Amino acid sequence: MIHAHQLTKRFGGATAVDAIDFTVEPGRVTGFLGPNGAGKSTTMRMILGLDAPTAGRVTVNGRAHGTSGAPLREIGALLEAGAVHPGRSARGHLRWMAASNAIPAARVDEVLDLVGLTEVADRRVGKFSLGMGQRLGIAAALLGDPGVVVLDEPVNGLDPEGIRWVRGLARRLADEGRTVFVSSHLMSEMALMADHLIVIGRGQILADTSMADFMRHHAASHVLVRSPQATQVADLLRQHGVEVTVQPDDSGALHVHAGDPAAVGELLGAAGLTLHELSLVRSSLEDAFMTLTADAVEYHATEGVAA
Amino acid sequence: MTAIVDTSRQTTSTEQPAPGLGAALRAEWLKLTTVRSTWWTLVALVVIGAGLTTLLGALNAEWLASPQADEDPAAFITWGMMLAPAAAVVLGALVVTAEYGSGTIRSSFAAVPSRGRVMLAKSILVAGLLFVAGTATALLGYAGTNPFFEAQGIGLPLEGDVLRAMYGSGLYLAGLGVLAVAVGFLVRHTAAAVSILLGTLFVVGPMVLLVPGTFGEWLEKLMPHNTGGGVAAAVSFNPNLLDPWTGYAVFLAQVAAVVAVAAWSLRRRDA
Repeated sequence: MIHAHQLTKRFGGATAVDAIDFTVEPGRVTGFLGPNGAGKSTTMRMILGLDAPTAGRVTVNGRAHGTSGAPLREIGALLEAGAVHPGRSARGHLRWMAASNAIPAARVDEVLDLVGLTEVADRRVGKFSLGMGQRLGIAAALLGDPGVVVLDEPVNGLDPEGIRWVRGLARRLADEGRTVFVSSHLMSEMALMADHLIVIGRGQILADTSMADFMRHHAASHVLVRSPQATQVADLLRQHGVEVTVQPDDSGALHVHAGDPAAVGELLGAAGLTLHELSLVRSSLEDAFMTLTADAVEYHATEGVAA
Repeated sequence: MTAIVDTSRQTTSTEQPAPGLGAALRAEWLKLTTVRSTWWTLVALVVIGAGLTTLLGALNAEWLASPQADEDPAAFITWGMMLAPAAAVVLGALVVTAEYGSGTIRSSFAAVPSRGRVMLAKSILVAGLLFVAGTATALLGYAGTNPFFEAQGIGLPLEGDVLRAMYGSGLYLAGLGVLAVAVGFLVRHTAAAVSILLGTLFVVGPMVLLVPGTFGEWLEKLMPHNTGGGVAAAVSFNPNLLDPWTGYAVFLAQVAAVVAVAAWSLRRRDA
């Protein structure tokens, strides 16, 4: 369990993390989602005691990091890929980490096997691909068999097979009763991996909800209607209290804010109106995430010129 | 697929006592011995420290035995120790700055949250390694040089100040290693740390000779290469030095001051 209370981090005048409260529960995968620069990594570094909070506190299993027992047996973390001396072998890296926490050397071979690096274990890490570096980082996180696992952007640089593997791993770790906290800036990835979602933007928590609830609330759907009699269609629907907007492009398609295309079709059919298209459009989670964080993104790219 | 979990885990894991300095020392020793830079700097240390001593001894033996000689043969017996500190400070600095450069330092502090303990473990190992390597290098240089001296009838027995210069070389390099570790933690950057250390030893040190008067003399005596280097020479080329052990005590105080500042800053700054 990870618990943050009024956790704040300021760098000079800039507030990276702004008095946030959250709890990461064991037994489920909690996604930590936010655009780049939202404060995800800073928060994770504070969890691990690498950055000191400006105010507030964060605890792991009720204690500040490193205040009891062997830290690697309590919390394992992947903080950044390739945070390993390029001249050291994968095995060499894991061996010193194991020694620092009195973890048996046999565990090194176990985690190497677990992440699929056994064959390249004695190769210098400088020659590793980004994906291999991520796997080594994950091996290091699991070295102490910790009850709390923190993974910062674990799928960065992984191929599709590797991404699926991380997803499955996070799931198994959570099923074993561990606390799993995974950050990403990709909503689509979180949708597949996380049970619970904490969304952060500009250092503030924008949402703290179960994945299912998030989908229900934010991934709104609408019915798209195309008709040569668009004006009559829109009038009829509005008379029935349904909100209708005209799609901003020239196609004349109507956005009908209703969840059931069958009901819309029956209503319009009964009135004898001609339809060219009637379909349900689910707005993607990515769209929902963009909407939610639109005001919280640090660096906007302007889309189009005539927008 | 291997099981991720060892089923005996959950309840006992947090009850285990925190690994102490011994575990940190083992970890740091593994780090030190699993990168090539350690071995390269040690090779450089031996080549400079023993190789140059032997070379200079061989070239000067005849002159030293002649009546024209105005230097003591004993001054030549650890000649290379005037330059070997370069290798020692590179080794000491890299132990820290290579971790900041690669990001390993965050793994180090996540594994050993007590930063002072990480710094202590690194300092102990660098000091130990450089004491052994420095003494061995000095002995090697002696073994290479003395036969040339003996051939000229000016051989030096391994006793008194000559013997002191042997382990004195180890002591001087050990102190420099600790200084380099501290500077590494302060500036966190290889090029910066090495520049500061080499600049202080080899550039600023000789430059204070230009400062006139008694003040200049004292300034010269107090430069770290002169305070600490005295014990590494049986007879110094520089007549204006503190007594070897007095100088070394001053040197240790200088190192301790830098270590204290580095430890204080390490505790306060984000990793």
